[in-house]
Amino acid sequence: MVQSHSSINPRLQFFYLPIALGGIVLAMGLVFQQTFRSDLALEKEMVQSQRRILVPGPRGNIYDREGRILVGNRPRFSVVLSLDELRSEFYREYISIRKAYRAVDDVDVPVSAEMWQIARFSVVERYLGRINRALDRRSELDARSLRRHFNAQRLLPYTLIEDLTPDEYARLIEQLPVNSPLQVYTTSTRYYPYGAAAAHALGYVSSNRDIEVDEDFPGADLMTFKMAGAHGRNGLESEFEEHLQGEAGGTIYRVDPSGYRVESLERRLPVQGDNLITSLDIDLQLAAESRMRDYEMAGAAVALDVMTGEVLVMASLPDYDLNDFSPRLSQRVATTINEQGAWLNRPLQGLYPPGSAFKILITLAGMEAGTIGPETTTKCGGYFRVGNRLFPCHDGHAHGEIALRTAIAKSCNVFYYEHGQETGAAQIAATARRFGFGQPTGIALPHESNGSLVPDPAWKRARIGSGWVPGDTANLSIGQGFMLVTPLQMATFTASVARGQTLTQPHLTHNPERPVQRGAPIGIAPGHYAALLEGMEECTISGTARTSFTTIPSMRIPGLRVAGKTGTAQKRTPEGTINFAWFIAFAPIENPQIAIAVMIEGDTPGEETGGGSFSAPVAHDILKKWAEKHPERIPPPPESVDPQVASK
Amino acid sequence: MPPERFDTTRPFITLGVLILVWLLLPTVVKRWSKISFYELQAPVEVSASYLRELQDYWSWRSRSKTDIYNAYQDLAGVAAQYAHAAEENATLRNEVQKLENLLRLPTFSAYRTEAARVVTRDLNAWWQRLTIRKGSRHGITVGAPVIFAGGVVGRVSEVHPHTAVVDMISSNRLRLAASFDGDDRPVSFQGGINPPLSRPEATVEFVPLDLYATPAQPQALITSGLGGVFPRGLRLGTVTQLEPSPDGLFKSGRVRLDPRLNKLTEVAVLIPLEPL
Repeated sequence: MVQSHSSINPRLQFFYLPIALGGIVLAMGLVFQQTFRSDLALEKEMVQSQRRILVPGPRGNIYDREGRILVGNRPRFSVVLSLDELRSEFYREYISIRKAYRAVDDVDVPVSAEMWQIARFSVVERYLGRINRALDRRSELDARSLRRHFNAQRLLPYTLIEDLTPDEYARLIEQLPVNSPLQVYTTSTRYYPYGAAAAHALGYVSSNRDIEVDEDFPGADLMTFKMAGAHGRNGLESEFEEHLQGEAGGTIYRVDPSGYRVESLERRLPVQGDNLITSLDIDLQLAAESRMRDYEMAGAAVALDVMTGEVLVMASLPDYDLNDFSPRLSQRVATTINEQGAWLNRPLQGLYPPGSAFKILITLAGMEAGTIGPETTTKCGGYFRVGNRLFPCHDGHAHGEIALRTAIAKSCNVFYYEHGQETGAAQIAATARRFGFGQPTGIALPHESNGSLVPDPAWKRARIGSGWVPGDTANLSIGQGFMLVTPLQMATFTASVARGQTLTQPHLTHNPERPVQRGAPIGIAPGHYAALLEGMEECTISGTARTSFTTIPSMRIPGLRVAGKTGTAQKRTPEGTINFAWFIAFAPIENPQIAIAVMIEGDTPGEETGGGSFSAPVAHDILKKWAEKHPERIPPPPESVDPQVASK
Repeated sequence: MPPERFDTTRPFITLGVLILVWLLLPTVVKRWSKISFYELQAPVEVSASYLRELQDYWSWRSRSKTDIYNAYQDLAGVAAQYAHAAEENATLRNEVQKLENLLRLPTFSAYRTEAARVVTRDLNAWWQRLTIRKGSRHGITVGAPVIFAGGVVGRVSEVHPHTAVVDMISSNRLRLAASFDGDDRPVSFQGGINPPLSRPEATVEFVPLDLYATPAQPQALITSGLGGVFPRGLRLGTVTQLEPSPDGLFKSGRVRLDPRLNKLTEVAVLIPLEPL
């Protein structure tokens, strides 16, 4: 029989009110949460249940001025395993391992977490075995790396084998089912078709785990996993990082409470960065480097387009093969680069005394001061006395009565000792600064040296604490002593002289519309300027650079008139004196197009490393290649005049 | 008498019990049931295909003598053409053999062919496959390449004693290593999503940037021979369009497949002489 309670138990009434109140509070709370705080709840739910994976965009390519690729991206194929698709396999393996332990009644049964690790290792190893069989490889699984990846980056695919060959890649895409957790994954890495060519100028990249995305990329609050990208570490790669960097893509996934992927919610493809066209001409670059490599010495070569200041060649030796940096630099290669001192980008970081190549500037300073003119002469007896000290001429050779043109061509020190003293250190320093010495050129490359130095009496007093003596001026007059320049500065100086101006701003990017450089004019009389050029041309015909341009028939460049100046600076070291061989040049004299500065560091104390023998051949090779490529830019020789017409 | 409420819910309870029983059944039993079901179904389909052929036979028999005579004449013409083509092929084969000997190239003899009639064509947006009237009894194995006069048909995905299922190249479940005719570099070929009765298409990915194809200048796509399943040089289709991928590493594009794939009646299975 069923009993019904028609009356209310008074004892229960005591509880009705609190229960009703509680119910009302809960209902109001629910309404409040649903109405006013639903966004917060939704956000929390999203953060807990969604994950974002970011994939870097490939970097832009770098080309030379003629569109030849200097730095590109090479696809890198890897076999990856999606761990989040193996959840049920892991579980089955775990059960079977646990059963096996129980069956043998082993006393040393691992704890559950260890058994899970064994299960995961075992499953992944099975997949790796399948790949090994398909590719006939013997790759092994690294348990620690798998554990680390599973704990920290479960959503990212786990890489089993990197850098597949095209054959291996082809084999796998045909043999792996389309929906397999094993997939062939493509990333990009930098590749350098010319290896070490222009390595310092181009720069290199290193791995970057902190890739950045646009602000409008959704999911900024979500837990984010980032695939490794690359960022520029040196050279153009670093200077134009923002330009070259690709736009990251990514996917937002919904995950279950254990962090396994459920579905993808949003996807954005990565986009390649912008390309960069450099001003370099790889033909000229290779020509310079090829000759420099023959010497097996350190050195630098810079060639500029005279009119625009665009850098055609920037070579620095010793160098390194940029392909060794891709995908990552090994410790062994890094040690070798360290030992060779190859990290230094000598054209803009190497500081050297300019030696006799600086005599061009002394000539200009003298012409400004009125101490040197086209007809200025000196009697060279092989030595010049300053106080009690004798300063030798070039090779201690006495040139006898010598005029400006020959003094430039033969690099007579005595001529410059004498007229340098007349000009004075202050005037020389002022002229040098007008040509940009003593300050960085401002080229768009990182780490340009600030240490370039133009010494003068004030500087010596402040830095060394002693007064300027005439011997200092004598040294400065031949580019020795305290004066320090970079090869790039010498190249910009040469380009400026070629244009008859004082400053050249170097550029490492190519712009076909780039305007002609407009520096201040040198400010000397045309006759003086012509005498300077005649001396420089004579240097390559009968002077110190004659063997590289005239004496040896095979070294002649038909139709090209070259203005040049050699220099052999010296530096005293504990082991003895070493030389820095210089050569600066521009051509064609009639209509200057290309300016060059080459410096080779002597490596054996006491051994003569002359500018005419070592640096001039490098400039010769650059000019020869330039002349081959641009015959139309070489002015035709003057037409021979019929004697009968001339007599009329 | 059970209450009325139980009567109304009985079908659901029964269904639930059946599902529970199915779920609790051991995997071996489930697998056996599945195979038995297919083995029961296969003879029906095979018989149906024989019946269709018989039907065709009788439909020809019911034609007039003139029709049959005309058909015979057409057939004689086709047979003569084939005989001529066979002679030409023999000459070409000899020529190839001679060139291979001259260049000391290995002779291609890794496969034998097994011709098979198509039993059913199952072409829809989810999958594109054929059932053929030969199976494991004829030496066909899973993964074996299947070809026809126009090139590649697909790859065997299931094998039964007397039948086999072929995943066609128009199916997005099939991927293989291809290359452009005249270029050795491998690219990835994958079937597309092809609704019934549409001209079959596929996609090609990881194409090097220096390769080009346009509708005006299409490029033939062939098997690369690098994947280890398909021999080199079998025609897959024509690439009519290539576009650079956003990451700038490769190009990807569309491949037009042979429209005859939708009406195949006979194919040949390449059976590797050495197991894959």
